Amino acid sequence: MGIAATIQEPAEGLIFQGKKSVEPILKTENLWKLYRAGKVEVPALRGVNFEVQPGESVAVMGPSGCGKSSLLYVIGGLAQASRGKVLVDGNDLTSMSDGARTKLRRHKIGFVFQRFNLLPTLTAKGNIAIAQFVHGDGFDPHRFDVVSQMLGLAGRLHHKPSELSGGEQQRVAIARAIINEPKILLADEPTGNLDSKNSEIVLQMLRQLNRDLGQTIVMITHNPEATTYFDRVVHMRDGIIVDGVPAD
Amino acid sequence: MMGELIARNLLHRPLRTLIGAMGIAVEVALVVLIVGLTSGLLTETAKRIEGIGADIMLQPPSASFLFAFGTAPMPIKIGDKLSELKYVQSVAPVLFQFNTSGVEIVYGIDQESFRAVSGGFVFLRGHDLEGPDDILVDDVAAKTKNIQPGQIYRIFDHDWHVAGIVEHGKGSRLFVPLSTLQELVGARDKATIFFVKCTRPEHTEDVMENMRHVLPGYTVRPLKDYLSLMTSTNIPGLEAFINAMIMLAISIGLLVIFLTMYTTVIERTRDIGVLKSLGANQWFVIRALLSESAALCLLGIGAGVGLSYIVRAGFLWKFPTLTIQITAGWILRAAGIALLGALFGASYPAWLASRKDAVEALSYD
Repeated sequence: MGIAATIQEPAEGLIFQGKKSVEPILKTENLWKLYRAGKVEVPALRGVNFEVQPGESVAVMGPSGCGKSSLLYVIGGLAQASRGKVLVDGNDLTSMSDGARTKLRRHKIGFVFQRFNLLPTLTAKGNIAIAQFVHGDGFDPHRFDVVSQMLGLAGRLHHKPSELSGGEQQRVAIARAIINEPKILLADEPTGNLDSKNSEIVLQMLRQLNRDLGQTIVMITHNPEATTYFDRVVHMRDGIIVDGVPAD
Repeated sequence: MMGELIARNLLHRPLRTLIGAMGIAVEVALVVLIVGLTSGLLTETAKRIEGIGADIMLQPPSASFLFAFGTAPMPIKIGDKLSELKYVQSVAPVLFQFNTSGVEIVYGIDQESFRAVSGGFVFLRGHDLEGPDDILVDDVAAKTKNIQPGQIYRIFDHDWHVAGIVEHGKGSRLFVPLSTLQELVGARDKATIFFVKCTRPEHTEDVMENMRHVLPGYTVRPLKDYLSLMTSTNIPGLEAFINAMIMLAISIGLLVIFLTMYTTVIERTRDIGVLKSLGANQWFVIRALLSESAALCLLGIGAGVGLSYIVRAGFLWKFPTLTIQITAGWILRAAGIALLGALFGASYPAWLASRKDAVEALSYD
C-alpha cells in the first residue's frame, strides 16, 4: 500500500483552526530526574529547561542514555521529577500526587511507544476503544471512525496485534494516543521498530496530525532523517539540552 | 469495554482459565457434596425412623438420638409396663446392632409387636420372618447388594436365610428376629429402644408424660420431632467436620485463584503499564483484575454445580443406598463462598498490579 493511499484526509471538523498561543503548552524549568542505583543516585536529567508551544512539533535527539526517555516519561507524568518544574497546559506536574498526574495524563497526554505496546488480547478496534473507555467519556463512534479512517485502519480493525504488520500496529498505537484529543502527543522512538517504508508512513502521519489538526507533538528519535518532519529539533546530551535550532 | 477486556483476557490463556475455573469448581463441588451427603444421610435416616409409624420412642437414660452411637440395652420387661399405660395402643421393642462391614444398623424385631406399631411390611418378594435365622432385606439394600430371597446372607459371623424383600422406609434396611439377635450379641431379654404407638396421635403428650412418670430418667422423644433433631448442629463433631471441609475447599479455591491471578499480573506487567500510560488509575487496574477473577469464579461455579451433579450420579450409581441432597440454598451458599474467596485471593495480585511503576512496567519483558 502506498503512502498516499494510506494517509486519509481528516474530517472537516477536526482540521486545526485555532491560532498558536504564546503561552507554552509544555514547559520545564531546571528539571532534574535522579534514579537510585543501590546507594548511588544517578542523574538522568540535570536541569532541563525546555518549552513547547501549542501546535508545535519537536524532535528530541541524542545518544543512548542521554536522558531522552526520562524526559518523555517525566513530562508525560509517568515518572515523578526529582527537582524543578514541569508545566503541562499550566498544570505543575511536580506538585501533583500520582493520582492527579494520572488524571492529567488521561485528559491531556497521548503516548506512542517504540514497541507499540498494544494489548495483545484486544483487536485493533479494542485497543483504540480502551483509551476512550479509560478516558471515561465512553465510546464515541464518530471520533473513532474519523481517526481510524485517517490512519488507514478501517479494514484492519478486527485484527489482533499479532495479525498486524509493525506499521499497522504503530498506526493503531497512534490512533489510540489521539482518540481522546490530547493536548500533547509524546512519541518515544515511534519508528525504532519499523522498516524505512513504514517509518516514512508513520512520520508522515505524525506530520499530518500536527499540520492538519494542530496536534502538539514531542518525539524522541535516534534517526536524523525523522527530524525533518518536525518544526524544531532539540539535542540532548548527558541529561541536559544542548541546543534548540529550527530544522531545515 | 471492561467486559470485552475480561472475556478476551480469559480466552487468551484458555488452559490457565480452565485450571482456575476447575479449582473453583472443585471448591464448589466439595462444599455442595459434603453438605449434601451429610444432610442426605441424616434426613434419609430420620425419614426411615419416622416411617416406622410410631408416635414415641423410649431410650435408656442419656441415650443419643443417634441409634448407632449407643446400644445400651434396656430390660425387655419395660415393654409390659408401657403397654399398661393409658392411650398406648402397642409397644415394639427393637434391638439395634451396628454392622460395621456394611455400615448399617440391623434391627432385631419382634414381628408381632413391630407389625402392630408399624402397620407391617409391604412384601415385594418372599415371605415374613419364619425361622430364627431368617432375615428381611429392604428393596434398596437388596438392589445394592443383589440379594434374592432364598439366598444366604452373612453378617455378625452368622449365616442368615433371606426370607423376603420388603419395601424400604421402616427404620432399617435389615430385620432379623429379636431373640436371635439378642443371643448373638449377648443381650438376652434386652432391647435398645421401644417404639410406642398411641391410640390417637393427639394423646402423644399425655403418654409421654406418663412414661416419664413411670420411667424417670429415661429418654422419651416424640417421633414427629425426630427429623428436626437430625441436623448437623445436633450431632457432636459433625458441624466441626463440615466446617473443616468447607475451609479446606475454600483454601483450594483461594490458592488456585491467587496463583492464577498472580501469574496473570506478572504476565501482563507491560499491559498494566500501557493502561497506566493511558491514564488508568489504581482503582481501574484493581477493578479490572477483580472483575476478571469474579468472571473466572462464575465459570468455576457453573462447572462446580455441574460437577456436583455428575459426582452425585456416580456415587448413587456405585452406592444406591446413599442419599445426597443438593439444595439450591447450599449451591448459592457455596457460590457465595467461592466468589468471596476468589475476590480475596485476587486482591493481593490486584493490589500489586495497581502499585506497579508505570515506567518499569512498560520496560518489562
